[in-house]
Amino acid sequence: MIAVRFRRRMPEKGARALLAGPDAAPDLALPGFTGAAGEASSQHDAAGRRLIGAGLGADPSARTVREAAGRAAGLAHGETRLAIDARALPAALAAEAAVGATLRAWRFSRAPAPRDDDASGTPPPLLERIDIVVADKRQAGAVWDMLRAGVEGALLARELVTEPANRLTPLRFAARMRALEEHGIAVEVLGRKALREAGFGALLAVARGSAEPPCVVVLRWKGRLELPPVAFVGKGVTFDTGGISIKPAAGMWDMRGDMAGAAACAGAMLALALRRSPAPAVAVLGLAENAIGARSQRPSDVVRTVDGTTVEVIDTDAEGRLVLADCLAWTLRRFSPRAVIDAATLTGSIVTALGHHRAGLFSTDAALAAQIAAAGEAVDEPVWPMPLGGGYEEALESGIADLRNCSPERMQPDACHAATFLKRFVGDAKWAHLDIAGVEAREEDEPLGPRGATGFGARLLDRLVSLRFETDEE
Amino acid sequence: MPEITFAKPSLPKSGALAVLAAEEGLAAALAELDAATGGAASRAAAAASFKGRKGQSCTILAPAGTGLSRIVLVGLGKGEELTPHGVEEAGGTAAAALMQDEAAALDARAACTGAVGKAGAVRAALGAVLRGYRFDKYRTKEKPEDKPKLARLTVMADDAAAAKAAWPAAKAVADGVFLARDLVSEPANVLTPAEMADRCVALRALGLEVEVFGPKEMRKLGFGALLGVAQGSANEPRMVVMQWHGAGTAKGGRRGAKAAKASKPLAFIGKGVTFDTGGISIKPAAGMEDMKWDMAGAGTVIGLMAALAGRRAKVDAVGLVGLVENMPSGTAQRPGDVVTTASGQTVEVLNTDAEGRLVLADVMWYCRKRFDPAFMIDLATLTGAIIISLGHEHAGLFSNDDALAQAITAAGKATGETVWRMPLGEAYDRMLKSDIADMKNIGGRPGGSITAAQFLQRFVDGCPWAHLDIAGTAWSSKDKPTVPKGATAFGVRLLDALVADQHETARA
Repeated sequence: MIAVRFRRRMPEKGARALLAGPDAAPDLALPGFTGAAGEASSQHDAAGRRLIGAGLGADPSARTVREAAGRAAGLAHGETRLAIDARALPAALAAEAAVGATLRAWRFSRAPAPRDDDASGTPPPLLERIDIVVADKRQAGAVWDMLRAGVEGALLARELVTEPANRLTPLRFAARMRALEEHGIAVEVLGRKALREAGFGALLAVARGSAEPPCVVVLRWKGRLELPPVAFVGKGVTFDTGGISIKPAAGMWDMRGDMAGAAACAGAMLALALRRSPAPAVAVLGLAENAIGARSQRPSDVVRTVDGTTVEVIDTDAEGRLVLADCLAWTLRRFSPRAVIDAATLTGSIVTALGHHRAGLFSTDAALAAQIAAAGEAVDEPVWPMPLGGGYEEALESGIADLRNCSPERMQPDACHAATFLKRFVGDAKWAHLDIAGVEAREEDEPLGPRGATGFGARLLDRLVSLRFETDEE
Repeated sequence: MPEITFAKPSLPKSGALAVLAAEEGLAAALAELDAATGGAASRAAAAASFKGRKGQSCTILAPAGTGLSRIVLVGLGKGEELTPHGVEEAGGTAAAALMQDEAAALDARAACTGAVGKAGAVRAALGAVLRGYRFDKYRTKEKPEDKPKLARLTVMADDAAAAKAAWPAAKAVADGVFLARDLVSEPANVLTPAEMADRCVALRALGLEVEVFGPKEMRKLGFGALLGVAQGSANEPRMVVMQWHGAGTAKGGRRGAKAAKASKPLAFIGKGVTFDTGGISIKPAAGMEDMKWDMAGAGTVIGLMAALAGRRAKVDAVGLVGLVENMPSGTAQRPGDVVTTASGQTVEVLNTDAEGRLVLADVMWYCRKRFDPAFMIDLATLTGAIIISLGHEHAGLFSNDDALAQAITAAGKATGETVWRMPLGEAYDRMLKSDIADMKNIGGRPGGSITAAQFLQRFVDGCPWAHLDIAGTAWSSKDKPTVPKGATAFGVRLLDALVADQHETARA
């Protein structure tokens, strides 16, 4: 992450940005700038320094501040230093400016140097440092220390989602998780043999067609509370060809991001560790590649999950729910968690339903669902409740097994069916499922991130823990 | 529809008998039947593992010791969990098993308990009637023995008089449902926009005020979007405005002109595309026959207005339907055309198959301006995306008013016509941005139902509004307890209940 510092005075060098509402806007000599929320403009002053105005509107919220700072960071293209003047804001909101700016300024660590767009031959420099200018730097810095953890988590998730599938195989994903040990997270990797012994028949069936062996990574954060952990379960299909039910070629490249659920869970764990959360937590990441091979599972195969349920595989491209079924059942058995939340780029159906602006939230626990929704709103990762169970059960009835993994109909609410499928593996645990297909990546630059991976879920889960799981009350 | 009568409980001498039984009351109910049948009822129930659970049923043919053709036991589930709609479902399940007899009796005593109370008998009767619907006018060779025979159903309850008094209102709702199902079932060569308008005109007999607008009148009103959809078809479009003035009668006696003036009407708007080929953006051939029911939103509004008038609802309501046929032809609108709506806003038509919203845009705007309604609720088989979102379980509900959305959700739950609220928001609205007009008529596949709703919201002008996307619920591919396979009339009961529970305060 780009270095962030809080200071009291505007630095002499580098680009300057003023976060301003309509009252302060006239002070900025930016023609046409009114200070309305969503507005941003940039120009060079007489001395050649870049001056940016980012509008807050009247009575700015944390979100407006984050977005304004994000817009400012987006306009600081070609600068090495950016100072954001947030002196008009209270310390807590000023800290949010750092969140927005760092989320927007992130670049993939292996990204090539940006193209020079002024034909001078030298690529423009990258932003290296952000100063937030505030009245009370100590207080703002303290708030930032807590918020920074979530940002670090989100950026870890973005790194993982962005990596192509040949560089992020299941085992290499697991190897990268070892780096979390330095933050106090215990890392355990279950290889193929251990998975076979534990009965992960569904996950192993998904992985059969690939030369890359699957694994399950268990991340544990001890916390301080003497309670069972809250559990996150992530779908980590490092590449999803669809298997024998192969996907069309157009757009298949996006399937490198089919491990975004696992990445979000890993990011959330990093956030908890960085801010030394008192809540015990565990993340279980089901990592597999869904490839086509001579040993691939076929449509019509029947597989057996960790809890003994038999599943008829109608479509090998409905593989995420198979991976999650094993991981959910195993997580409940092994950890008896206070609650379990899974995150997965699970269905195209949820994209049709909710587009790219909200994730689908499915839950059997109204209180947990409400807290997830609140956490999502608080960190700009909005969700929307969707239905499951009831009449959707029928679509999963199999003629020869306990259930089938999807319905063969052409037009069907597959997101609801998938959630209903998962429900079969969580017993009466407090459980919620986030279908993050459609929100794991953005198609264009936006205030809170450049085009590409969003890291959706990491900040939400981190915030959920702080809202709900850091006391011993239910 | 079989003739419904209500009577005090007694064991009929002939015909069929259905008995509704809750789990707790099953033993007592069986004991009564055992006395007449020499214990056959209990033995049959045991043999069929009939426990009175919800949805369970068990038939005893020609029970010895009686003159009955059959006894049908139907489970109500647990008495304490019984709901009015649960009783309707049991009544429907019973009716499905009684169709072979000309006369039948339905013992609804067990349904008249707990939260349901006296209403149980009427609810059971309504469920039975709704299940018995059949659209068979085009079956010319069906043998009499293959047709359902049930002509008279006697519903038995302790307070038969109360049930008898309450029945006409319920029957009016059933009539509205049947009218909507008939309209939706009719093929598109019969049910053109003009024919559909004629059927609305026939509702004047119920006391509805009905106006029909043709192309000329709509051109004057500036309905560029609706007319753009219609221009490819040889069948002229229509808009029908139906008004029911019932509020003035609230305090008994004659309608007061003052009261009628003071109350803003409730407005219901329906999409009535009598056949949707998709137009130049033509649909694939497979499944296109289903597009005869692309007028189901209008069918529901017409059925609802008939129900409100039929039961003399104490409310002012208007129903508006936009009726067009969407055809490809030399005169059809093209992808890329820009049309001007009645509101003055321009629309770039990028896909001629996203036509329902164009029809609704003009009709909704007109409704808003002419009636200044208390709320507008529109119904439309609007998007395939809603089927991929919610399937056939729930209709999609979109609203700019939380209280209205909650009331609709509650009415849906109470009538078994359930809805699920979906989001709206600025981020979705932006997806309608057009390069050359005020908006385009599609927002792309992601969030397709939401962008359709955002489109409609641009024509409500701040009025409290809800949109029901009924593309997944207007037609059922399987029998359900109160809805036989086929046209469901989804929305008639929901909206009737909404009106009755929320807007007829002076109602007895």
